[in-house]
Amino acid sequence: MLKKELILRNPLRQLGFETEDILPAGAIGAVLSHAGVGKTALLVQLALNGMLRSQNVLHISLNDPVNKVNLWYSELFHHLAGRYEGAQINSLWESVLPHRFIMTFRVESFTVPKLEERLSDLTEQGIFSPTMMIIDGLQFDESRRSDLNALKALAVKNGIHIWFTVRTHRHESSGSDGLPVSFSAIADLFDLVLELKPERADVHIKLLRGSGSTPVGSPLLLDPSTMLIKDKEL
Amino acid sequence: MSSTVEKVRNIGISAHIDSGKTTLTERILFYTKRIHAIHDVKGKDGVGATMDSMELEKERGITIASAATFCEWQGHEINIIDTPGHVDFTIEVERSLRVLDGAVLVLCSVGGVQSQSITVDMQMKRYKVPCIAFINKCDRSGADPARVIGQLHSKLGHNAVAMQMPIGLEADFRGVIDLLSMKAFYFEGENGEQVRSDEIPAELLAAARSKREEMIDAASLFSDELTEAILEESAIPDALIIDAVRKGTLLRKFTPVFLGSAYKNKGVQPLLDAVNQYLPCPADVENTALDLDHEEALVVLLPDSSLPIVALAFKLEDGTYGQLTYVRVYQGTLAKGAVIVNTRTGKKTKVGRVVRMHADQMEDIEAASAGYIAALFGIECASGDTFVSPGLNLTMTSMFVPKPVISLAIFPKNNKSQINMSKALNRFTKEDPTFRTHVDDETNETIIEGMGELHLEIYVERMKREYGTDVDTGKPRVAYRETITQRAEFNYTHKKQTGGSGQYGRVAGYMEPITEGDEDFIFDNQVRGGSIPTQYITACEKGFHQCLAKGPKMEFPVTGVKIVINDGASHAVDSSDMAFQAAARGAFREAYAKAKPVIHEPIMKVVVETPTEFQGGVMGLLNQRRGMIVGAQDEGPMTVVEAQVPLGEMFGFSTVLRSSTQGKAQFTMEFALYRQIPQSIAEKIAEEVALRKKSAA
Repeated sequence: MLKKELILRNPLRQLGFETEDILPAGAIGAVLSHAGVGKTALLVQLALNGMLRSQNVLHISLNDPVNKVNLWYSELFHHLAGRYEGAQINSLWESVLPHRFIMTFRVESFTVPKLEERLSDLTEQGIFSPTMMIIDGLQFDESRRSDLNALKALAVKNGIHIWFTVRTHRHESSGSDGLPVSFSAIADLFDLVLELKPERADVHIKLLRGSGSTPVGSPLLLDPSTMLIKDKEL
Repeated sequence: MSSTVEKVRNIGISAHIDSGKTTLTERILFYTKRIHAIHDVKGKDGVGATMDSMELEKERGITIASAATFCEWQGHEINIIDTPGHVDFTIEVERSLRVLDGAVLVLCSVGGVQSQSITVDMQMKRYKVPCIAFINKCDRSGADPARVIGQLHSKLGHNAVAMQMPIGLEADFRGVIDLLSMKAFYFEGENGEQVRSDEIPAELLAAARSKREEMIDAASLFSDELTEAILEESAIPDALIIDAVRKGTLLRKFTPVFLGSAYKNKGVQPLLDAVNQYLPCPADVENTALDLDHEEALVVLLPDSSLPIVALAFKLEDGTYGQLTYVRVYQGTLAKGAVIVNTRTGKKTKVGRVVRMHADQMEDIEAASAGYIAALFGIECASGDTFVSPGLNLTMTSMFVPKPVISLAIFPKNNKSQINMSKALNRFTKEDPTFRTHVDDETNETIIEGMGELHLEIYVERMKREYGTDVDTGKPRVAYRETITQRAEFNYTHKKQTGGSGQYGRVAGYMEPITEGDEDFIFDNQVRGGSIPTQYITACEKGFHQCLAKGPKMEFPVTGVKIVINDGASHAVDSSDMAFQAAARGAFREAYAKAKPVIHEPIMKVVVETPTEFQGGVMGLLNQRRGMIVGAQDEGPMTVVEAQVPLGEMFGFSTVLRSSTQGKAQFTMEFALYRQIPQSIAEKIAEEVALRKKSAA
């Protein structure tokens, strides 16, 4: 009941994509913004949305410890479900938790073969098979091309889609396509690129590169006080 | 006894298992000349470390009970409480922290901030205990103090700042550079007792200067004078820095970090200096008590020896001469011959002997004044009791005591054991509030309850060793609970009016799950117009309450139920307390079945630290045990796997974990929450319960 309502209320539907996940299996997408604007918050909401529909999400964090990632999920979930009764929320929270697996790596020790090894540890023993993966905190530049290719192959092989957070820098100029110069060199690998841009009191979610679909209706926003996605300007 | 409270330090040494805190304490006692020889924890010399006074602790190489001990360093009196590291004994840690003013957080330079350090840190936060950190085992291969300082920041949120720099690391660890005095310290002599100060090695000078600047920068936040001195670029006196660091430490906004290797006798003396310099004296900490005469209003206690006595009994021990009670005096002077009152029982006692403890030896003293920790003889009390001067009615804030999650039946093997067993149980329950015992009235078995398998195991062992009691144990049983999931109405009439004195009572209303808070039972009387006369309302409540002990579903305790009664009926002659109690019981049974009862089981937060090559296997093990893996954290050579696993599946886990990781993984476990059990498991439990009942009958 509550579960269904939360799924229906999801403003991400407004982005007007064909699939609920925005990305089809085997595709990779990126969320760009400066530090602290809300990349992780947006992706955690995509993940929660997947988890509510019984999809398994593997969250890989290169910066934060497991507890902190967990906090993101529980905070956003409780904000989302805020107006419902306590017991109902808690039991729903308990029931979606098994659909999430958090893995943290240290930035310097993260490699694609290592991730593949960990992933097969999970899938072969039947512990966890993700359909969605979030990689938070990877540094991007041209040298990542081979890694990204490998990750894309991994996504295709396992039938999963992968979201990345990409941190942009204020001092960096953007190219003709609106993408930061360092990122545009590898942008062709991504099926979808979203950008978070603070404008006045809100954070706008903009589609920089995508599979031909255009957002319908009013622009999507992130509410900076709750970091939740909302579909209207206040 | 020192006359000024400023020179007193009550400190604890807490850390993860095997970080070396007992070894460190041992060295401290040696350098402060309280002991004259050093014994190792798992001693080859068969003596064992001095602080581990219990036989069992010596054998297992772990510290179970916190022994309080006292030493002197550079004119300061330091009371040390050696705290246990295992999560199963956290009540001990919590009790110690309650009476401490400051703590040394010991971390392993290889393991870093481990799960238990996180738990201990949370406890320190709860009791607002300022701390300094000591990164031990800098001589071990893989030692990386910089990484540990990073973890103090990222995992514990400490503003950790290095006060020292290592000279060499791992096998090459030779000494430390003090960033305050800008001197190198080497520890010489057979046991490192001679501290030699020297110039900083040339190759480390530049690094030391930059580290010193970082340290002063961080400290300047707490002192305007220091900031001024930096801006004026004048020479900065040491006292100014010490003062700023101390201020920050007392506010818990600055954690000075020291280095060393207790086992190799390095870095311990500078740590003792730091205890004197940076940790608070009893007067720096505000302690409060609750005034029972004024609705538990908070009263600030002053560390003044001339005021009436307020003292807290925080630990009991059964010694050769009877019960030994460790007390911390918060106010007044606890002297021989003084009269004190136990606030809980109201009993007056005259203080006999006052002693100062040094592990298992003692020293008689005349009096213990405010701020001190001492031990009393022949005082009848439980741990956590408050003692005050006659006329006061204060109690120290009650300590947070978790409910037990596991139970075990014990059977004495012979008559002698039977008598000693009750003596032992009586003692243990007084010592440890998380350890409980009762007799099951159906099976007549003696049941002990506690916080984990190891917790109960240790007590069974202690019974054997200290009381010569041979007992057999049953299979550990998990503390399941029943609760309801939906609202259900009841309208029950208890009627017995055929011959003899009649009984009549009708109770109507509803029961529903409690959604907010963690109360076990709420009774709400909404009867209007006297359909149930007021004098029978308590009987109704009692009747409902009686049903909670054994749930109708599987006879587990019922929790989280709110009962609302809003109607009923009575009879002028036949209604009685008994009749309404019976009606309430009937109403409970009637509604309970309709309220969709379910069984809840305790879920433990299990944290396994394993070498990365075994992490897949470890996750498999947890998964087999119905565990939900929350995450896997990469920590260099180690991986930390965190999971939530039902307690019922964790029996024997340590053995399995050891054998599948070549003994290289370790785990900690603590209670997390109660969660509904899956249907298939519920059926299995129902079968077990039925079987047990049958065998008991």
